[in-house]
Amino acid sequence: MGGPVIQVDAETVVTPQAMEAASAMGVAIQTGGVGAPRPYTPPAPDRGPDAGRAMETLAHLPEPLSDFDGTGIIVTVIGKNRPGVLAEITAYLAANDCNIHKVSQEIVDNYFHLILTVEMPSGDQFAGLKDGLEAMGSQDDFVALAMHERVFRFMHRI
Amino acid sequence: MAPFSDREVLELVRMVELETLDIRTTTLGINLMDCADPDLESTCEKVYTKVVHHARNLVATANEVADEYGVPIVNKRIAVTPISWIAAPSGAKNLVPIAKAMDAAAKEVGVDFIAGFTSYVHKGFTRADEALFDSIPEALDVTDHVCSSISLASTKAGINMDAVNRFTQVVMDTANRTADRGGLGACKLVCFCNVVEDNPFVAGAHIGVGEPETVLSVGVSGPGVVRGALARLSPDDDLRAVAEVIKATSFKITRMGELVGRETARRLGTPFGIVDVSLAPTPAMGDSVADILELIGVDSTGAPGTTAALALLTDAVKKGGLMASSSVGGLSGAFIPVSEDQGMIEAVRRGSLSLAKLEAMTTVCSVGLDMVAVPGDIPLHTLMGIIADEMAVGMVNTKTTAVRIIPVPGLKAGQTVEWGGLLGTGIVQDPGQYGCQGLWRRAGRIPAPLQGYRN
Repeated sequence: MGGPVIQVDAETVVTPQAMEAASAMGVAIQTGGVGAPRPYTPPAPDRGPDAGRAMETLAHLPEPLSDFDGTGIIVTVIGKNRPGVLAEITAYLAANDCNIHKVSQEIVDNYFHLILTVEMPSGDQFAGLKDGLEAMGSQDDFVALAMHERVFRFMHRI
Repeated sequence: MAPFSDREVLELVRMVELETLDIRTTTLGINLMDCADPDLESTCEKVYTKVVHHARNLVATANEVADEYGVPIVNKRIAVTPISWIAAPSGAKNLVPIAKAMDAAAKEVGVDFIAGFTSYVHKGFTRADEALFDSIPEALDVTDHVCSSISLASTKAGINMDAVNRFTQVVMDTANRTADRGGLGACKLVCFCNVVEDNPFVAGAHIGVGEPETVLSVGVSGPGVVRGALARLSPDDDLRAVAEVIKATSFKITRMGELVGRETARRLGTPFGIVDVSLAPTPAMGDSVADILELIGVDSTGAPGTTAALALLTDAVKKGGLMASSSVGGLSGAFIPVSEDQGMIEAVRRGSLSLAKLEAMTTVCSVGLDMVAVPGDIPLHTLMGIIADEMAVGMVNTKTTAVRIIPVPGLKAGQTVEWGGLLGTGIVQDPGQYGCQGLWRRAGRIPAPLQGYRN
């Protein structure tokens, strides 16, 4: 870099379009000589006067009571039976701090289906855990499916 | 609370994995009133900016919720304020630039449709309404994602037959402009009697005057789930048992839909609007309303008994939905879009489902004549008559009816057109040899019926 430099002060917001145009012309944009300027982040949209009210009350249906302090997950696994399947799945859940509330397993013609009701301490790890579980099996071994317990609760309890 | 039984767990897993239960659409309504500007170019810029600003996170948020709750959200869409209202201050004669701005915004945020190229003319036209009518054929030709809807009649206002005549011409012109795609433009164009202002389903989606700044609504579907539940009934169970099964199923899918919808709305920071509980078929195997009618007990859809079976179905779906949620709205019930329903396509092919029977079915379905193909050379007055009849059904029965009809250029009755994707396969239906030239010539307005005077 040794090309022309435009100095802007710290308050100036540089839009992505400006950055693009500048770099296309070989111009660097800097803030007071101390590196890259503040990136532009679009402001949150103003959803109107009803938005706040909706967030407080309407967004929450009377929710059927939950058994869980943390986040409940229902894991369904279907596959060919072999030694160690249950151990593998439960070990993975344990490694993710999950507490198993209920195990139900049945074997029909050497195929098993397993339903685990699981609690995890916080909802934040849900996506990771779900991806991990669903990536564990394969078509000719077993298939795992993880769903939020809330869906079951809304469907089956009032 | 008792833990879920295996039966309860497997019921939901089966619905999602085997019976294609899904949230058919999550639709963000955006009020564009503040985009009106005396300069058309500024209007376009404001429309684009506002839509992109509000809908930027729609697709990502919907995908996130779908992933987490394990229920697919198939389509993400945008509904806006009727464009004729936004365009009025500009006085522009050609509103295609606004359609292009909407299309560009839809592409930018990655939604599959943006609807609201709309006008209300059930009692008469403004200059902006005329401009919108004149712009529809080109707008639907040059854009990919824009949908258009027109209010032509209501129980309170009667039928504006002048508008019906003009709309008929617009349908014809739109189909002809998109002749190379089987008249595809007309698949994105619909007219209404008793238009619904919070409908999340395209092509008729838009947000009316009473709606908030932004609002998120969902359309829940599940013909496959209802079909699956009915298939487990014995053929000897009586019709009250059939109604019970449909109600219970509708209740469950509505609860699920409202949860997913509210969660999406919360994450977007926007008020939640309504759950539209509609059995909306897709061309996928098993996702068919016709299959349900046949399971209820009709030999082939369109045969005598079809209207009775459909009446039972629509009513039971509504009842289950209304018990499940206080936010049921939109079109809720059962859709009968011919080309989008594998079972209905088969019924047309078999010769059991005629245009006349379809009209009878619309007296008890939740919308109207939907995705019906007719010959490209259909006389204008005949096409107008089909539309006017459907408007009359809605007007007198105080129900919403719609017409989405496609005169397929170059095709004759019995021939087939492929629109692809969700729009499916159209088999051109025979409108018969007689029309209504006298009605066409008279034009004017059909006064509101007695049912309209309820004040």
